[in-house]
Amino acid sequence: MPMRFATAIAKWLEDRTGLGAALTPILGHTVPRRTASFWYVFGSSTLALFALQVATGVCLALVYVPSADQAYQSLVYLNHGAHLGWFLRAAHFWGSNAMVLVLVVHMLQVFLFGAYKYPRELTWICGVFLLLCTLGMAFTGQVLRWDQDAYWGLGIGASIASRAPGIGPGLVHVLLGGPIIGGRTLSRFFTVHVFLVPALLMALLGLHLWLVLRLGVNEWPMPGRLVDRETYRKRYEEEVQRDGVPFFPLAARKDMIAMAAVVLAVLVCAALFGPHGPRGFPDPTVIDTAPRPDFFFLWLFALFALLPAWTETFILLVGPVVAIGFLVALPFLSGAGEKSWLRRPGSVLAALLILLAIGTLTGLGTTSPWSPLMDGWSATPVPPIYVKGRSALELRGALVLQFKQCRNCHSLGGEGGLRGPALDGVASRLTRDQLIRQVLQGGGNMPAYGKNLSPAEVTALVAFMQTLHPVDEPVARTAAGPLLGPR
Amino acid sequence: MRRGASQRAGSGAFLVLMLGFFVLGCDSLPGRPKESAEEAAQSMDFELLYATHCAGCHGADGNLGPALDLHDPVYLALVPPNRLRAVIEDGVPGTAMTAFAKERGGSLTEPQIEALVQGMLARWSDAQSLRGMALPPYAGPLGDPRRGAEVYATACGSCHGGEGRGGKKGHDIVDSSYLALVSDQALRSVVIAGRTDLGMPDWRGTRGSPLTSQQGSDVVAWLAAHRAPVVGRPIFEKPRG
Repeated sequence: MPMRFATAIAKWLEDRTGLGAALTPILGHTVPRRTASFWYVFGSSTLALFALQVATGVCLALVYVPSADQAYQSLVYLNHGAHLGWFLRAAHFWGSNAMVLVLVVHMLQVFLFGAYKYPRELTWICGVFLLLCTLGMAFTGQVLRWDQDAYWGLGIGASIASRAPGIGPGLVHVLLGGPIIGGRTLSRFFTVHVFLVPALLMALLGLHLWLVLRLGVNEWPMPGRLVDRETYRKRYEEEVQRDGVPFFPLAARKDMIAMAAVVLAVLVCAALFGPHGPRGFPDPTVIDTAPRPDFFFLWLFALFALLPAWTETFILLVGPVVAIGFLVALPFLSGAGEKSWLRRPGSVLAALLILLAIGTLTGLGTTSPWSPLMDGWSATPVPPIYVKGRSALELRGALVLQFKQCRNCHSLGGEGGLRGPALDGVASRLTRDQLIRQVLQGGGNMPAYGKNLSPAEVTALVAFMQTLHPVDEPVARTAAGPLLGPR
Repeated sequence: MRRGASQRAGSGAFLVLMLGFFVLGCDSLPGRPKESAEEAAQSMDFELLYATHCAGCHGADGNLGPALDLHDPVYLALVPPNRLRAVIEDGVPGTAMTAFAKERGGSLTEPQIEALVQGMLARWSDAQSLRGMALPPYAGPLGDPRRGAEVYATACGSCHGGEGRGGKKGHDIVDSSYLALVSDQALRSVVIAGRTDLGMPDWRGTRGSPLTSQQGSDVVAWLAAHRAPVVGRPIFEKPRG
């Protein structure tokens, strides 16, 4: 009886809406047989992750307070107060990482399979903007995690925007809702993250899917089967009619398996590794912090840190335009011809090069050796071998080294910051005069400490550093020593 | 058909199990955040507090660092706990000992400083070993530098050299730059508690009779008399090393 009742309701709904009749041909449309493959699941996996982000995001928005003074507390409440709140945050965080990752894999697959070529140019361009939207979601999401990382990340974003010639200050005003990061900034980013970009993303997604349906799934690329704008569409139709399979269930099954797998992977990561942050209240007066972006921007973080200063403005302003411009122009630059990666060594090499560069920069970004170790001065002990046998003055020098935070950038005995050179053995590289000059005037990316040290402190510090040389290497001396006395 | 039904039942049970796991067993999942950044900053754990804020200068285990030996029962018996607390809170102006109290621009709360004081006393003091010894008082007025020179000659000169400019075992201790970076009280503490971790004996010395409080005051006065009005201008000094 209930079964018959349900069927009646379904029939009534179908009669009034006609949705089933509209969807059946979509699900049943034929696709080339070989595309029912696990190589073709990354797009739908990204879609599944997007759905997960929407679901977890809506739940988070129920608790999150988008105000500068309460956002942080609401995150702490989610982490520690709300039942399973931490899991929700963790799932949203790991979901965002996974979404960026799978999206990049999807783009790589599309690139290597030549799927961006005629007639699917617009599908690709749509995808490029979907990538930009996703990265925009990632950045704004990082800002909504209103902690020290967010605060300084936003500061860096704003200072990049401010470099735009002419419109810089206006751009910053739009971005931050004022000249500085304030209460309006968070409201602005909340609106962008929750309404604006998601709406754009969904619209683009709809267009993207419509184009896939309209133009058909890219056939499996065969070496030697060239794309010709005159004949391609006819040949594709013929192939699908001759050897096509219905999308549902043969190809859809693999999509669904992959979708379940990525979502499950995100949930497992969330359960095992938990949420990220929030890492410290975003107080601009707290400067002993080492802010870092989330995983997907670590490569940019490393790139910006390592760029020579004189290239910065040019690369920051021109780089994104060139990169996006190239991605958009790609289907027009090579819209026809060979699709198979086996016959496109240049493309394969370019993709590998980009992956390698991003991978290397991400690796550097994780360790970020250029960041000072903020508690190095008080938490990394002077190695006892550099303490034993030293004079009272030299020991005072070691104290100056710690107290003036030299260890935040310089290491001793393998401990301390890596921004500057290690100080073990410094006495065999620099003479006493050179050490004094370097400390007082800085140089080579080191600040000058002349105004922060008393003469006695400099004397003590240099006396200590002069003891830092290997047993078998003498202290460095000036070549003019005999003329000017034994310096 | 039956196999299909049992399979469905099996997967249903699995789903319910998983759901139960997530809803009920979540508190023991490894990903659950242990403590917030604020809570971590409020830690009262002595080991953590010491390793983060003190080890840099005072050594990983309280000794063998460039700064005063804290892992020394004599020093801990010498210094009144209130003074220990005050030094951590306010620092010692003009020296490398910085103020750690939050209200003084540091990063430690009052209970955390108390945890450091109590932790040091609990771990590194040893009242038993000093029972019956007449330890000179922590503080004392500056004595007479002329008498101090005599005390120096008998008690210190054999290691630090006749004039204090370094000898067989000890180094230069009258260097004006050194004296500019050290307080009279720190000199007195070192004279009394020594730096046993680095080979300098405490007030009992290696031979002869222990120093009295007055002798300590005198020798500190003698050292302080070596302070120079203008110090550490490297170009005017005799080259070292």
